[in-house]
Amino acid sequence: MFRILIAAIAALSFSSLSLAPAASADERAYPTPELATAVDEGGTLVSANILGMVCDFCAVAMTRTFGRRAEVAAVHIDLDDKTLQLVVRDGHELTDATITDLVRRSGYQLTGDIRRGDDA
Amino acid sequence: MRHVLTACAAIALGAGAADARPVSYEGGWTTIAQSDRMNTGLLIHYTPRFDYSIGLKTEWDRADDILFNGAQATWLAKRWFGQDYQANLYAFGGGGVAQGINDNDRGARGAGYAGIMADWETRRWFLSWMGRVSDMGDGGHAMQSARVGVAPYIAGFGELHTWLMVEVDHHPEDATPVAVTPLVRFFRGPALLELGYTPAVNEAMFTFMYRF
Repeated sequence: MFRILIAAIAALSFSSLSLAPAASADERAYPTPELATAVDEGGTLVSANILGMVCDFCAVAMTRTFGRRAEVAAVHIDLDDKTLQLVVRDGHELTDATITDLVRRSGYQLTGDIRRGDDA
Repeated sequence: MRHVLTACAAIALGAGAADARPVSYEGGWTTIAQSDRMNTGLLIHYTPRFDYSIGLKTEWDRADDILFNGAQATWLAKRWFGQDYQANLYAFGGGGVAQGINDNDRGARGAGYAGIMADWETRRWFLSWMGRVSDMGDGGHAMQSARVGVAPYIAGFGELHTWLMVEVDHHPEDATPVAVTPLVRFFRGPALLELGYTPAVNEAMFTFMYRF
């Protein structure tokens, strides 16, 4: 049992993700390489402010709910700014109503406007 | 079969601490393994909609050697949102069969429980309370527990979150009715691990939770 606990702590501690900002062809800084690549491939950046996001479980709920949508090429949560950022694939559409509903299905609440493209 | 059931219970959830987010996102599965000074058990639940979850639970009352196996439903009655906080009120209930194991030959009886959980959380502070009444086939029991926690540093998404917490539990009918358990919570992505110790009864506590 002790070995299992130590292994679990090690897994939590050392398998950290790279959160270094990534730049795309237009030299805008993106929080993850996945967002930058998705925009480079013609996707549209979308961002929105979310209420109640205080932990990684909240962020995981959001990334998994949006990540399994075919329209979404990449998704990122910023717990500091309480923002959801995602890239809608070129040729696809994700309406404001759908985004609002997916946030609700994740267990959270959207606040303010949904921003797209250069406004995102 | 008895040993299989005991082993299943031994790997994991008790009734003590208020679980972190007992309802997940739509379509999400969660496994919670937990052991505290009274119980050891496992809960696996599925969230069909953002405001309730259903699951299967096994719980071993180690003092009385009673093993519960049954189903649990948890309802998110209310969630309050703010820019920097989240608060939740949950109700839960379960039903199944509780049977004596090891040296307890009392047999199997119908069993059930119900309770309320509430929590308030920011990225720095955490408060929770949980109360539960249960009947494992031998009369009613009640318990409650509360937690306060602080995050020594603020971690971002995907980083290791660490919480220092203290839990106080109250089991009125137990020989040690009130016990304090300091614990540390590690939290990253879909995984949560808690390790603690209850000096009053010389028992360790742990929780492992994973979201699929």
